[in-house]
Amino acid sequence: MSVPRARILDLMKARCQVFGTTFNPDGVRTGNKILRQRLKGPSIVSYYPRRLVTHQDFQKEFANLELTVNNEEEEDRLEHIQGLKSRGKGAPKKKNAPAAFKDKK
Amino acid sequence: MSMFNRAKKFDLGCFVNIKTIRDHTKRVAFAAHEAERQALRYTIRNTTLPQRTRAIAQLQLSQMHCYTRPTQIRNRCIMGGKERGVLRDFKMTRYNFRLQALAGNIPGVKKASW
Repeated sequence: MSVPRARILDLMKARCQVFGTTFNPDGVRTGNKILRQRLKGPSIVSYYPRRLVTHQDFQKEFANLELTVNNEEEEDRLEHIQGLKSRGKGAPKKKNAPAAFKDKK
Repeated sequence: MSMFNRAKKFDLGCFVNIKTIRDHTKRVAFAAHEAERQALRYTIRNTTLPQRTRAIAQLQLSQMHCYTRPTQIRNRCIMGGKERGVLRDFKMTRYNFRLQALAGNIPGVKKASW
């Protein structure tokens, strides 16, 4: 009851035609499995959430309605800097770069 | 690094430190070069092509910038930027996940008790 090899190959060929696959009876490695893989770039890039709105956007939106929005973090930061300056511990004022260059010479 | 623009700090809405910025930069670089990498990988795996072509493709793939490699990418915690113990489903470390879950910030998650 053994089926001849040629007949089995014919069957495989017909099967490949029906299902639209490549006829490769010898099992040669053609690397097609790489081409079949989906690109995963878009899903990998979207891992971290994006910043959609900033505090400034809020302030601009509400400025049209004549409402003010407090940015507490920014206020805290400015207050902290003010405290440093009053104690004389603030960052030095920016020099003019070319002038400083001349002084060194 | 110099060939890729580092992602800006204000791009990301999660916890931001240099490690998350760097990881995001790698993700963008990988996505930009993924098609090129796949083409080279196909050339290397295809045994019907001449040996010389495949060897050249191997060389090109190994000489691509390390930021374009998918293995450089590591999922980091979006709450604290840590890299270890990150639960994939929630993108958070186990401790941050516990805190957020107990605070009720994660929909559908509640502490089991029986």
